[in-house]
Amino acid sequence: MSVLACRGGSRWLPAVALGIACSAQANPLGSDPYAWLKRAADSARATTYAGTFVHTNGDRTSTFRITHVKMGDDEHERIEPLDGPPHEIVRRNDEMFCYFPDAKTVRLDRRITARFFPSILRSSPQAIAASYDVKLGKPERILGHECQWIRLEPKDALRFPQRLCSEVNTGLVLRAKTFNGERQVIEQYTFTEVRLGPQVAKAADVRSTFEARVKQWHTDKQPREEAKSVDTGWTITNPPAGFQKVTEIKRTMPGRSLPVSQIVLSDGLASVSVFVEANAAPARTIEASTEDGTTTFFVRPMGEHLVTVLGEVPLATAQQVGRSVTRRP
Amino acid sequence: MKQDISSLMDGELDGPEADRTIRSCCASEDHKDTWNLYHAIGEAIRGQAPRTLERRAGVMEAIATQPTVLAPRTPVLETALGRFALAAAASVATIGVVSWIGLQGGAPGAPSPVVAKGTPAPIAIQPVSATTRMPAAQPSIDVQDYLTAHRQIPSPEAYRPVVNRGAAAGAR
Repeated sequence: MSVLACRGGSRWLPAVALGIACSAQANPLGSDPYAWLKRAADSARATTYAGTFVHTNGDRTSTFRITHVKMGDDEHERIEPLDGPPHEIVRRNDEMFCYFPDAKTVRLDRRITARFFPSILRSSPQAIAASYDVKLGKPERILGHECQWIRLEPKDALRFPQRLCSEVNTGLVLRAKTFNGERQVIEQYTFTEVRLGPQVAKAADVRSTFEARVKQWHTDKQPREEAKSVDTGWTITNPPAGFQKVTEIKRTMPGRSLPVSQIVLSDGLASVSVFVEANAAPARTIEASTEDGTTTFFVRPMGEHLVTVLGEVPLATAQQVGRSVTRRP
Repeated sequence: MKQDISSLMDGELDGPEADRTIRSCCASEDHKDTWNLYHAIGEAIRGQAPRTLERRAGVMEAIATQPTVLAPRTPVLETALGRFALAAAASVATIGVVSWIGLQGGAPGAPSPVVAKGTPAPIAIQPVSATTRMPAAQPSIDVQDYLTAHRQIPSPEAYRPVVNRGAAAGAR
């Protein structure tokens, strides 16, 4: 109802009747959900913010400290996971520098499927709108900030519904939830403390805090080298509607003598990785799957090869992807 | 009652419930048989020599007709990875029961398999009958490897320097 209430001339009647404050109408973006979605995506890249957020996916919960600064055309970000052994990720646009002080190693990688809250929208609103109906939900006050919920309703059962709570002044997403088909929350990102605006962080705050503590860092460039697109020789003949190939690469994985082919698909919001490798002895002969939060895992033997699908999609989507892997003609 | 006995063995009942179950278990021959049967199955799954079944011959018939086996005492693993290992281990555990049944029947049985990934005997809820064909044991899969690759997770636990570092260095 509040969505309707935010639209056009009838905005005040139902809003008043329901007692819902309709902050969207006061915003220059008005009631255009696509404008809100675009600003939410832009804001995560182009504004400066710092805070702490909690990520819950299925049974797993982790807490991160984040500092994000816009410098010129580049975004610089430092993320420090607060659980487990100390480490941090320094990100410059899509370049990732991961510092492991205990191993005295800095690992270089290029962002492909890595998800960084609040920068969770990686495609244009148009691309997302092809697979999701975008609607405005109700306004809500979160962490002392007025926010507007944006609802992403999938047009089919091949993906999960999502909700983003966008801060009304900057557009930054302060909370994001993903639901399953039963409307239960299966994944959530939420700031627990956030500061917004150019004054909250400067260039020095997005440099590695560990760098100076270790005299000699080992540099592991292999992940970044492997992130370059190659022809894996495999293709997905029947991808689920709305999913397109993002890249295909070959990755070295522990315990395997040969690189594993990885094809990445995305519908603009959710991504799926398809791995193809030798079905090494003792060979797997039956399909198997597991789901935890938004993470779905599906493995399928295919003759001498083993196809493994992992992504933030329902099982049916992972199965469809996994069953349409073929040799490129 | 069978569910209660199973839960008791799994340590899932609290004081009063456990007390009630123990009382009723000891008061009935059938329930005592169930208790013994479940322990025998659990021991077989854990690779221990099964205890002598002394109640009565009907126990063997009960095994043959038993639709469900609840193997005892396991903290349920908490992650997707754990669940997957669990599913893999469950099929292994089932085979353990089947081979044990074969052993009791006088046929040479395979030694009880080792459960994947060092897990203690998992909760295995599987239909068991001596005539059912079980799929061959599937190799366990480390979901974490794929998760790490997909998420590009830079976690120190997941970080493993790759084997052919020499090749990578040569490529620079």
